[in-house]
Amino acid sequence: MSMGIPEIENAKLLFIFGYNGADSHPIVARRIIKAKQKGAKLIVVDPRITESARIADMHLQLKGGSNMALVQAIGNVIINEGLADQKFIEDHTNGYEEYKEFVKKYTPEYAEPICHVPAEQIREAARAYAKAETSMILYGMGVCQFAQAVDVVKGLASLALLTGNFGGPNMGIGPVRGQNNVQGACDMGALPNCYSGYQSVTDDAVREKFEKAWGVKLSNKVGIPLTHVPHRVLEEKDEKKKIHAYYIFGEDPAQSDPDLNEIRETLDKLDFVIMQDIFMNKTGLHADVILPSTAWGEHDGIYSACDRGFARIRKAIEPKGDVKTDWEIISLISTAMGYPMHYNNTQEIWDEMRSLTPSFHGATYEKLEALGSIQWPCRDESMEDKGTPYLFTGGKFSHPDGRGKFFATEWRPPCEVESPEYPYSLSTVREVGHYSVRTMTGNCRALANLEDEPGWIQMSPEDCDKLNVKEGELIRVFSRRGSLMTRVLPTERVKPGATYMTYQWWVGACNELTTPYLDPVSNTPESKYCAINLEKINDQAWAEQCIKDSYESIRKNMGIDTAKKEV
Amino acid sequence: MNYFVKGNPDLCIGCRTCMIGCVVAHEGAKIFQMKPGEYVFNPKLDIVKTATITIPVQCKHCENPACMNACPVGAIEVIDNAVVVSQNKCIGCKTCMIACPYGAIDMVVSSDGSKQLDGNSRMVANKCDLCTGIEGGPACVRVCPTASLKLVTEEAVETSVSNKRMAAAISLTQVKE
Amino acid sequence: MGKQILTTCAYCGAGCQLYLNVEDGKIVSSTPANGRTNEGNLCLKGHYGWDFLNDPQILTKRLTKPQIRKNGVLEEVEWDEAISYTAERLSEIKAEYGPDSIMGTGSARGPGNEANFVMQKFMRAAIGTNNVDHCARV
Repeated sequence: MSMGIPEIENAKLLFIFGYNGADSHPIVARRIIKAKQKGAKLIVVDPRITESARIADMHLQLKGGSNMALVQAIGNVIINEGLADQKFIEDHTNGYEEYKEFVKKYTPEYAEPICHVPAEQIREAARAYAKAETSMILYGMGVCQFAQAVDVVKGLASLALLTGNFGGPNMGIGPVRGQNNVQGACDMGALPNCYSGYQSVTDDAVREKFEKAWGVKLSNKVGIPLTHVPHRVLEEKDEKKKIHAYYIFGEDPAQSDPDLNEIRETLDKLDFVIMQDIFMNKTGLHADVILPSTAWGEHDGIYSACDRGFARIRKAIEPKGDVKTDWEIISLISTAMGYPMHYNNTQEIWDEMRSLTPSFHGATYEKLEALGSIQWPCRDESMEDKGTPYLFTGGKFSHPDGRGKFFATEWRPPCEVESPEYPYSLSTVREVGHYSVRTMTGNCRALANLEDEPGWIQMSPEDCDKLNVKEGELIRVFSRRGSLMTRVLPTERVKPGATYMTYQWWVGACNELTTPYLDPVSNTPESKYCAINLEKINDQAWAEQCIKDSYESIRKNMGIDTAKKEV
Repeated sequence: MNYFVKGNPDLCIGCRTCMIGCVVAHEGAKIFQMKPGEYVFNPKLDIVKTATITIPVQCKHCENPACMNACPVGAIEVIDNAVVVSQNKCIGCKTCMIACPYGAIDMVVSSDGSKQLDGNSRMVANKCDLCTGIEGGPACVRVCPTASLKLVTEEAVETSVSNKRMAAAISLTQVKE
Repeated sequence: MGKQILTTCAYCGAGCQLYLNVEDGKIVSSTPANGRTNEGNLCLKGHYGWDFLNDPQILTKRLTKPQIRKNGVLEEVEWDEAISYTAERLSEIKAEYGPDSIMGTGSARGPGNEANFVMQKFMRAAIGTNNVDHCARV
């Protein structure tokens, strides 16, 4: 995020795009509500009536998969109605003329049939966004989990450039990232193209610095993204280019990744799969080695919040069983492979990282102890450098020339759309009381009591009538890739033809249905759109028994002695 | 006057933290030591979501409670400004559940693990008791992350009414004959 | 008497600060702390999401011992065996197909920044590939 979470409540206008804070980050949603209480205008773009949409001044209930058309129509209105910040554009940006030319065709009337949003509503939203004193864009997976995702992110950034909403407090553009430490994994260089602090692996000077520090020659070839693994295992013919071994650490692709059939095939085909985790999971069923590690609460370290805020995690209890910290396990393997690695504690690791990463260099353990949280960049070790609440101060961007770049391109429909055979769209969303692949929250008594298998499919009351199904009934859902059973949840908050499933469930695992199509730049899968069909189940007693049996069989597979216990 | 918990739909995000807070307050921390199937999970409030509203619904603690008037065994009484069901007296007749105009009462398995004469778990009426006897007052109010729930006390009602009267008086001075 | 440990919540990117209340080596509850982002508030996951550490085995079970698949079946082994077997297999594959035939992940979840730094260092310096990524994409 270019801004900090606390700033959200001080923006004069919040433009919330494909982001449902109430379910994914209740504590961020709290700031959205506070902003509204303080008089901010709220514009929400979402195909569902989310909690933010419900209290918004304007809700653009667009058709899923039409983001790019809408974003550019807003740009079109801002330019055509003379609402652009010409001074900011001249002083701080590149590519305005090309952008202007490109979005000419994206009039609100052009976007209306694509987005299913009235042209006049698009105009009003554009005017409000451009005219507010400070406008802040918050976006989520409703932008990122499409095959056209990076384009939309750049398109949203272009709106902020167009209106000068960068460089000061309470403005900017904020991807509100989902998992607790997804920001941190990126910050630390768990990415195929960069080391810690987003230092490129193809930059010779950077690579030489790391080579010197680590005493070894490093590859200058960008690695492959995680979502390319199935292809590199199943379809690559050249043995030398194939992936043969997969070291999976703290993830469960056999639950979280799209098209689970393909993932299972991939895991089985690999020569060697290492699974390092705290709980037995679906990936573990395909692993050759399982390495048990300590969990949150059992080890020290630092997380990065989605607004670039480093904060400490601390060990509260001793782990049970014969487990080790993740960094210790990795170091032991490395040492056994002839590259010795040894650390006594997380602070030693952090200090090594800081010494190699200028933008995080000032965020010492001591300073974190004193301040609680530090937002990077934090370059200087002295107490004066308390980090950076918002980026691009004074409109200075991270491009070499310090200018922000406009971006426009053609809207592309989702890769798999509704057809007579699969007439409904499915989007995967979050369950508020559960997290990610659910190994943690699914094993928390109170949270599991609140919601448990097999989960729900949100459908419009019209579609429920058409299929003659009612709340709580089990229904069969199938796509070109798989099928499952889940419960019907009629809700006025979704449009006819569109359905939504939370992705946390194992029995009703919606990734059995999703497509493996990816954004060409970010390689993020299109989890927010695929085509499905729905079928009423007449024998509900049989279906209920199937769900029960399949839950039991999962628990048995996970190593729970099911005979001893009833749920 | 009886107190009650009032929700503000402009602030509620439907996260249901209040529902778990309610259960933990009433069942105690012991549920985190018990096997998942061995305790009951009976929130005394429920989140309702429509296209325009999100809010927990719970007992209003009426001054002249229909449930209390309807109970044939006197299992419902007013204790410390709250309308409370004595679950040990309750016979599970469901009359209160039907009488309540707010849908704030449901029937649940008793948390004390007792059995009925037929050997099944005893069913009793379940409703908000404003956490009577629980330190810190209503748990739902305490855990709500958006401060959408408030305990409305007699004093709060008086202050609100007197403020509104004050505002009304000021507006009346602006009415010219 | 118990102790209170200040930490960052393990769920979602909001970075809420909370205290874990520990009695007899077990977490019994959590209390919101006055963090930069959460200002004394928590959602249901922050309030009640620590219980998995007690391993109630509702959905799955904590891993407590290294395991190696032998003749198709996962068997519990000692750490020495698990580490040397893993290192051996990775070395063999690296020797046969080159470092880019190995893929590793970081973790966007519980392990923390230090573990991610060590993982990417291992993949880059010990294996010799930039094939490291995590679930930011899924």
